Amino acid sequence: MDTAEKLDKNASGRNHAEEPLIDLEEQPMQETRYPEHTVGTPFVDAPKMRFRDVNVSYGDTQAIHNISLDIGKNEVISLIGPSGCGKSTFLRCLNRMNDTIDICRVSGELFLEDQDLYDSKMDVVELRARVGMVFQKPNPFPKSIYDNVAYGPRLHGLANKKFELDEIVETSLRKAGLWEEVKDRLHAPGTGLSGGQQQRLCIARTIAVSPEVVLMDEPCSALDPIATAKIEELIDELTESYTIAIVTHSMQQAARVSNRTAYFHLGRLIEVNDTETVFTKPEHELTEAYITGRFG
Amino acid sequence: MDRTYFGQHSSSQFNEALESIRNHLMEMGGLVEKQVVDALDALLRADSDLAEKVMQAEDKVDKLEIQIDEECARVLALRQPAASDLRLIIAVTKAVSDLERIGDESAKIAAMALQLSEEGESPRGYVEVRHIGNHVRNMLRDTLDAFARFDADKALDVAAEDNEVDLEYRSAMRSLVTFMMEDPRAISRVLNIIWSLRALERIGDHSRNIAEQVIFLVKGKDVRHISMDEMEEKVKG
Amino acid sequence: MSKTTEKVRKTLARRYRAERRFKAFGIVSIVIGLSALLLLFGDIIGKGHSAFFEHYVELSITYDPETLEIEDANDPEQLRYGNFEGVVRAAIQERFPRVEERQDRRALNALLSTSAGYELRDRLEADPSLLGQKETLWLQLDDDADMFLKGSEKQRENARLSPQQREWVLDLEAAGETRSEFNRSLFTSGDSREPEQAGILGAILGSVFTMLVTLALSFPIGIAAAIYLEEFAPKNRFTDFIEVNINNLAAVPSIIFGLLGLAIFLSWFGMPRSVPLVGGIVLTLMTLPTVIISSRAAIKAVPPSIREAAMGLGASKMQVVLHHVLPLAMPGMLTGAIIGMAQALGETAPLLMIGMVAFIVELPTGPLSAATVLPVQIFLWAGSPEQSFVALTSAAIMVLLAFLIAMNTLAVVLRKRLERRW
Repeated sequence: MDTAEKLDKNASGRNHAEEPLIDLEEQPMQETRYPEHTVGTPFVDAPKMRFRDVNVSYGDTQAIHNISLDIGKNEVISLIGPSGCGKSTFLRCLNRMNDTIDICRVSGELFLEDQDLYDSKMDVVELRARVGMVFQKPNPFPKSIYDNVAYGPRLHGLANKKFELDEIVETSLRKAGLWEEVKDRLHAPGTGLSGGQQQRLCIARTIAVSPEVVLMDEPCSALDPIATAKIEELIDELTESYTIAIVTHSMQQAARVSNRTAYFHLGRLIEVNDTETVFTKPEHELTEAYITGRFG
Repeated sequence: MDRTYFGQHSSSQFNEALESIRNHLMEMGGLVEKQVVDALDALLRADSDLAEKVMQAEDKVDKLEIQIDEECARVLALRQPAASDLRLIIAVTKAVSDLERIGDESAKIAAMALQLSEEGESPRGYVEVRHIGNHVRNMLRDTLDAFARFDADKALDVAAEDNEVDLEYRSAMRSLVTFMMEDPRAISRVLNIIWSLRALERIGDHSRNIAEQVIFLVKGKDVRHISMDEMEEKVKG
Repeated sequence: MSKTTEKVRKTLARRYRAERRFKAFGIVSIVIGLSALLLLFGDIIGKGHSAFFEHYVELSITYDPETLEIEDANDPEQLRYGNFEGVVRAAIQERFPRVEERQDRRALNALLSTSAGYELRDRLEADPSLLGQKETLWLQLDDDADMFLKGSEKQRENARLSPQQREWVLDLEAAGETRSEFNRSLFTSGDSREPEQAGILGAILGSVFTMLVTLALSFPIGIAAAIYLEEFAPKNRFTDFIEVNINNLAAVPSIIFGLLGLAIFLSWFGMPRSVPLVGGIVLTLMTLPTVIISSRAAIKAVPPSIREAAMGLGASKMQVVLHHVLPLAMPGMLTGAIIGMAQALGETAPLLMIGMVAFIVELPTGPLSAATVLPVQIFLWAGSPEQSFVALTSAAIMVLLAFLIAMNTLAVVLRKRLERRW
């Protein structure tokens, strides 16, 4: 258990008197305080997405506290932090995937360019076409490779004729670096591909609807290092046309793929900085402790 | 930020590896410091035995350098250190090569001491050697101290002291060159002293380099190749 | 050897013994279950196999217009009232000319099935030129004579035939004038009071119509309910309440549904009795919980990652369900529906309440004509006094079991065939 959790427990008043939860000698981090505001540079000029004072709660538990952050155009921002720090929850707010959870409440300002994500005028279907998502586990539909990629464009009516659809499928697969591997078996089931290929298929499927922002929720956690390297290279290429927000548990991955890195800790956004800064000279001690591996 | 611990990594082996690197660096620092002191003594007292010892100590320093580099490479490969750990490894690898150079310079001084003991003492320059030598010795001690305690302020002092050493070195050079022009017969012996002074000045520069690494390690800021004022600003600011 | 190893060794023998005991218990249980099943099948097949065959006797028939009281074989009116039995009687008496006593003659006539006359009529109707001609035909024996011929020595002693009749039958058998044929009427005719003429086609058709109604109602309703509850319904007290009650409904004794059908569909809505439509509706009520529960399980088994993927691409809730959840859950839903159907197929109690227990000779022509169903037919025959009905009952049970096994196999095959891996 880390100190912050202990502090939380203490504050909640349980076992308050009898059981001192903090052992001073063993916990030299006990001085740790959350910063009043996120340290570093959470804001950028002309952001693609803008968030101010975002709070998210599940029932009575608050998962995210007052997060303010900008995501710049065509940048890769990685969200890192220990498990349960709210990074995935935050990511899922960005295209309202949290809507499916009944008890989930989101407040604060969330903007995609100048459109409020949670405004009643905002159509969630349109939002998800503009902000695509790639998930942790490769989840191709149990259909053919072609149908997997064509699903989104068909759904949104992006192609009227067969050849237009063929073209979209091909460009998407090419962008995802999968075309050469699958062009001869487009009608084979997508589930028959290897894990890394499946994940690239999922990325192809996501970019087939030409989103503006691509969210990636630990896209490589189920993949081997080679497949991971391919995806990372792909992310690098995708930045030319897309804005990417990626949640990852691998700090090396965050360091490799992202321009900026945001560090979450127990539902708070502690620090946002250039990735280089975060990994060589983080400003906040919690960030430092996390990326040097000083948390249990 | 004070960073006085290597502990608290989730991995205790990581802690031990970093601790071991630091200990070896300190050991190497101690050896090199002794080399410098002994070389100066040998020069000033024309002690050829001591000079031989200094030159022999070189071996041990070289071995330590290789060992520390290997340890750093291992940590880089196995642990992918980040932030302060990464800075520590970078600073150590650089400091180690500076220390090794200091060792080399000490050996050069010892060689000069041997030569002087054969050719006879130099008519001039010992005052300067003693003076600059003391300075440089202090710098080396302080910089090692700063490294051991992650003390950026002390490191800044060392960097400032290097400027003084440079000034003194230049004035010593001027006076010795003047002397050589006056008495050409003593040129070869005075040259030995000049080489020694030159070596001492280099030791001062290397100490300053190490001090800069200490500042990088503690503050995460690169203070190489900038003026003293800017450096001060970066460290204090 | 370390101390731990020693200790471990000591307990090993005990552990292995316990393991063997446990295995033995399992094997014994399976043997008990299997032998019960074998016993059941053996008994049913042993009793019922004879019903698939029946005996015929070879007789020389004269289509005598006088005996028949038919002048024009093309006149359906005359054909209908023709005395074909007289011709049959004449034929058998011709075979045994020495039987003269009136009583004996009657006993002799009783050896032949009443269906023999109908057979002659059908032949004459098909070919009117036969009138006045002679023909050698195989005619059906009465069930008692049939049973006698089929039986073993011991069973022959108990047959319901007089000593005289036995003699005649044995005489015919010895002369090679009897033969055993496949019992076509079992599969081609409806119920009858005469065992040798009774068939299960009526019951099968009744079952088929009932099942069609049940399938047509319970499958869409069940799936719609399951999808709503699983995908759309808000999670609140009310939906919890519905969920609990669906589970309760699955445990309600089936006769209660029969009573419900009687009270609501027959008395209130005034629907006709004994028709597959009402039977189907009642069985729908009974199978709905099964279908809903299995469909919900199938929907739950669809990995959430698929839903997320579709939603992440901007599919609406409806599209997610129609494009992904439903196709993926379909094998499970089908299996559930088929198993529910199989349950309904074997159900008797609720149908008794709505009058599907009537004696119906005509073959049903649709869901609105009076009919009975296979299990009810079995129930009816099991209660009949004639000895031959015992075999018929078992034969009907075999047919019913065959249907059930076929349906369950279909369920397994469908699941295997349609199941997708992800």
